[in-house]
Amino acid sequence: MYDLIWLLPILPLLSFCILFATGGNLAPRWVTMLGVGSIGIAALIVGVIAWFWLTTGMREPYLYSLGPWMNVAGFTPTFGFYLDGLSLTMLMVVTGVGFLIHVYSSLFMADDLDFSRFFAYMNLFVSAMLVLVLADNLLLLYLGWEGVGLCSYLLVGFWHAKPANGAAARKAFIITRIGDTAMALGLFLLFMHLGTLEIQPMLATASATWQTGDSIPTIAALLLLGGAVGKSAQLPLQTWLPDAMAGPTPVSALIHAATMVTAGVYLIARTHELYLLAPMAQATVAIVGVATLLIAAFTALAQHDIKRILAYSTISQIGYMFLALGVGAWSSAIFHLMTHAFFKALLFLGAGAVIFSLHHEHDIFKMGGLRKKLPVAFWSFLIGSAALTALPFTSGFYSKDAILLAAFEHNPWLYAGGLLGALLTAIYSFRLVFLVFFGDVKTEPSAPAGPRMAVPLIILCFFSVVGGWIHIPVDEVFPVVAGPSHEGPVALITPLIPIVGVLLAYFLFLRRSLDFSGFFGSGLGRNLKAFFFSHWGMDWLYDKVFVVPYTAVARLNQSDAVDLVYEGVANLTSIFHSLIAFTQTGQLRWYAATMVAGLVLLIAIVMGIV
Amino acid sequence: MTESPLWPLVVYFFAVIALVLIILGLSSLVGPRSTMQRATIEPFESGVVGIGSSQIPISVEFYLIAMFFVIFDLETVYIFAWAVAFFELGLFGYLAISVFILILVVALIYEWKSGALDWGVKKRVGLRE
Amino acid sequence: MSGLQLQALLPIITLSSLILIQMMFIAFARNLRLTVSISVIALLLTALSFFPMVDHLPISATPLIQLDGFALFYSGLVLLGALMVTFLSYDYLRDQGERQDEFFMLLLLSCLGALILVSSNHFASFILGLELLGVSLYTMMSYPTRGLFTLEAALKYLILSGVSSAFILFGAALIYAIEGKLGFTELAGMNHTSAASGQFILLMGSTMIFAGIMFKLSLAPFHLWTPDVYDGAPAPVTAFLATVSKGAIFALALRLFTTTGLIDLDPLLRGLSFVAMVSILAGNLLALLQDNVKRILAYSSIAHMGYLAVAFVVAGKAGGQIMAMEAASYFLFAYFLTTLLAFSVVTIMSIADHEVDTTNLGDYEGLFWRRPALAAVFTATLLSLAGIPLTAGFIGKFYIFSIGVAAEAWLLMAFVVIGSGIGIFYYLRIIFAMTKAPRTDVKIEIPTASGWVAVVLTVSLVLFGVYPSPIIDLIGELMISFG
Repeated sequence: MYDLIWLLPILPLLSFCILFATGGNLAPRWVTMLGVGSIGIAALIVGVIAWFWLTTGMREPYLYSLGPWMNVAGFTPTFGFYLDGLSLTMLMVVTGVGFLIHVYSSLFMADDLDFSRFFAYMNLFVSAMLVLVLADNLLLLYLGWEGVGLCSYLLVGFWHAKPANGAAARKAFIITRIGDTAMALGLFLLFMHLGTLEIQPMLATASATWQTGDSIPTIAALLLLGGAVGKSAQLPLQTWLPDAMAGPTPVSALIHAATMVTAGVYLIARTHELYLLAPMAQATVAIVGVATLLIAAFTALAQHDIKRILAYSTISQIGYMFLALGVGAWSSAIFHLMTHAFFKALLFLGAGAVIFSLHHEHDIFKMGGLRKKLPVAFWSFLIGSAALTALPFTSGFYSKDAILLAAFEHNPWLYAGGLLGALLTAIYSFRLVFLVFFGDVKTEPSAPAGPRMAVPLIILCFFSVVGGWIHIPVDEVFPVVAGPSHEGPVALITPLIPIVGVLLAYFLFLRRSLDFSGFFGSGLGRNLKAFFFSHWGMDWLYDKVFVVPYTAVARLNQSDAVDLVYEGVANLTSIFHSLIAFTQTGQLRWYAATMVAGLVLLIAIVMGIV
Repeated sequence: MTESPLWPLVVYFFAVIALVLIILGLSSLVGPRSTMQRATIEPFESGVVGIGSSQIPISVEFYLIAMFFVIFDLETVYIFAWAVAFFELGLFGYLAISVFILILVVALIYEWKSGALDWGVKKRVGLRE
Repeated sequence: MSGLQLQALLPIITLSSLILIQMMFIAFARNLRLTVSISVIALLLTALSFFPMVDHLPISATPLIQLDGFALFYSGLVLLGALMVTFLSYDYLRDQGERQDEFFMLLLLSCLGALILVSSNHFASFILGLELLGVSLYTMMSYPTRGLFTLEAALKYLILSGVSSAFILFGAALIYAIEGKLGFTELAGMNHTSAASGQFILLMGSTMIFAGIMFKLSLAPFHLWTPDVYDGAPAPVTAFLATVSKGAIFALALRLFTTTGLIDLDPLLRGLSFVAMVSILAGNLLALLQDNVKRILAYSSIAHMGYLAVAFVVAGKAGGQIMAMEAASYFLFAYFLTTLLAFSVVTIMSIADHEVDTTNLGDYEGLFWRRPALAAVFTATLLSLAGIPLTAGFIGKFYIFSIGVAAEAWLLMAFVVIGSGIGIFYYLRIIFAMTKAPRTDVKIEIPTASGWVAVVLTVSLVLFGVYPSPIIDLIGELMISFG
């Protein structure tokens, strides 16, 4: 049964190949059939596997071996697909949410000239993501890791006619490459010390070899963390994600909210044994998470662009997952990953529906009163925001609550940070809802989108509400942590804070009974707003610290200093050529004379005189 | 290998070059400098003054016949060499010289047919008019 | 003279009598197609006449001629080259007016000279073959009336060849003065028998013979004639000069120096190493910024002869003579294919232009768009000359390299590497020129015979580049019966 998993990456890949080979000559109907169908079948297979997994007792990790990749000097990486509770959860998210987004895209992108190319890239992405998730070997995982990075690049820059989109795509690619380099170094280090990159044997060896707190696992874990923060847009490599919103909205939903950006979380969860050996690295994970979630939440508060708000919210929510990982609440992290995939995909797709109806208007201050006009989008947004805010009985509530309580157990300061983040989350989420859907109509929407966009929204609404009751099958994967069983004030405050946030947002943005416009009109307030708006000036800082000096050095070295050597060789050769070309006079007497001279010279050499 | 010293050869080589250079150099230094006059370019500074050009047209056939003469004359030399040793060479020599003469005959026929032996009027076949 | 010995002379007799027959046909029934047909028949019959004696090798027919596997291989190459050049010349001369028939007779005569050279075992036959080859070649060069410099090329080659022949004759005279013998086999081991002063003269004589041969092979410092003659001579004649003439003389040199044992003399090898290095460097450097395709090919041939000389030196140094001769033979084979192909492209390009040969690099610009197939063939040739894998040229160079490394001739190898590096530049220059936008869109007609020559050679070039073992095995087998 489980050996069907080899089909999962192959199906989308096959579809990609066909779409790529036909190069846009296929009728849109067939493109849809292929692009959506391949993911649909994959989702079906995952569903069947999950059914088996959950109903029968067969919960032993299953390894589907693909055989060795190569054999070079004792380095024989064998590739295989590894199925356990963790990868199954990820599979469900990737194929399930992925399928819904594909269905949605088939309408959203219908008018695009490059419809076929879009689905080709999307399918390639899903294929790479499935490889990443199923990989039993860090090398294979790395292949998927780079594959999704490539697809992200291609899809962010999908509308490549606009230069800004290309720039955003490059930014996304380059910044994640920085993390990837760290990760590659981590892989080298692990391979050097453990002699294998197959995840399970490697982790077993690691636990057997190293003591908790040893320096090598700490360095390796930190290097892997580098890869994770790059891919998951965490501090300090988070600046690419808001720009990546230049891509089509379904891309943002699939890649930059539900799946790819959570790969970092998956990586750390997958190698959690390593982090257990390196408490320092694990603490770093928590600190990175909290810092990111706060910075991103503040930034989200000041944004105008609907997709950028969601992007910062994504960064912030992944910050929660990192916090969970950092405090050892592994399953809570994965749980939040899953619920987040539901409600964030929902929010993005809802935003897509709004943007779709408003003729690609992104500015929330130009929206308003859409509650009646776009009911499906409104309800999606309402439910999605509620889940994002973690209002009680939504899916987000269960996952975030678990994280915060675990953080409290670990360190009250982390808890406080998370709690502040939750408050901010509530404010910016409902700021969005109130500004877009309530108040006066500012831009008249066209007719709401058809059922192919509405149905995925409704399904995601359902999961955003009930997703919290799903019990993800990761009990066997992670060490059992004593469940947070607080009865005290903490258990009470934690669910209360989001409600406070929603009320604040209500008074701030709908009733406008709380007015800070005086403060934000003043110099300090304006600066603070600008500071938050610019994402704490981080893009500016990176530009000044890295980009400007780098381009300056590059400009300085425009005529490559190393090239001078080769140019020197080339010039020297040319000089020799012109020197020796003088001998070709074309005069017979000179030729005859050189022959005689040559003979004399030759005799001299043979006789040993010269 | 080089028990006999080589340096005398080298000295000799350079001595020859030096000698030539000295003679040419001295003559250009010491020799009289003549200014360009009418008489300077004449073949003889005294005596009979030449009349007409030395470059008179000579018929091409003349050279052709001269060449044929050289070729056949040279081949006669080979036959002469065979004739001297006629008895020593015997039958094999006879056959060999027959082949040699046969080739000559073929060549002669070829020349004849191509019109190479014609003097004056061009009867030569296939010449571009 | 036994029947077997007579048989050994059969190829020479066959070719000679067919030349006479052809002469008679020209005299009485002048017809270009007929003449060319006789040429082709003559070459094929000559090739066939080798077969009866394959099982009896080696045969010495008179002291002059030694027929062995070595001679057989090179005779094959000579006949192949001559055949290809015959086809190319037919297309080249066809529309040049009447009286082109004699050219093919001269071609056969030249070929006869080459055949004598490759099987010659005596100074007499050596000189005989050399002059027969040369004298016919001078005439062939100046025969076609098109082109501005054919006569100049022929005269230069004639006079300088005279100088080189003088070298050879004088060298032979010096050797005869000491040893009193002129047969190669009889001269074997001569360097051990003489007194010191005799040694000196022997060495002098061998060096002079060497110099004469080097001139013919256009090895530096006797190379200056090469570009002028290559450029001035009609393209098919240049092809003949570059392949048949040089190949035959190289074969003779190899035989002369291995049979007589001269190759074991260190001083000679020192001189030869010098010549090889200078040739590689000079050839490649001179070709660097050249804009004339024929001249580039001339310089490239200087460099290639340098590589070949490396094989020669290694043969002496390491004592692995058979291996070195195999390498040299394969290299020469690849060189034959490649050079013939290069000049067949030049010939095809030149036929379209009725005035002069198409040699300017500018004329090749845009060939990829005008005649993709021709450009592809030329590219394959140039890549083979540059020694890029999957071509025969690569295997040849690789062979040279492997014996060089085996003999630990590091200095020579360094020169081979540097030379190959420089070489890639000017070969690629031509290829880049061909990819440029075309200057004209005049259609280039590809004549039938030359077109087929190009096809056959291209196929062999790639085939023996990818799968060289049949030729390597053949060479190995034939070399066993050497000497």
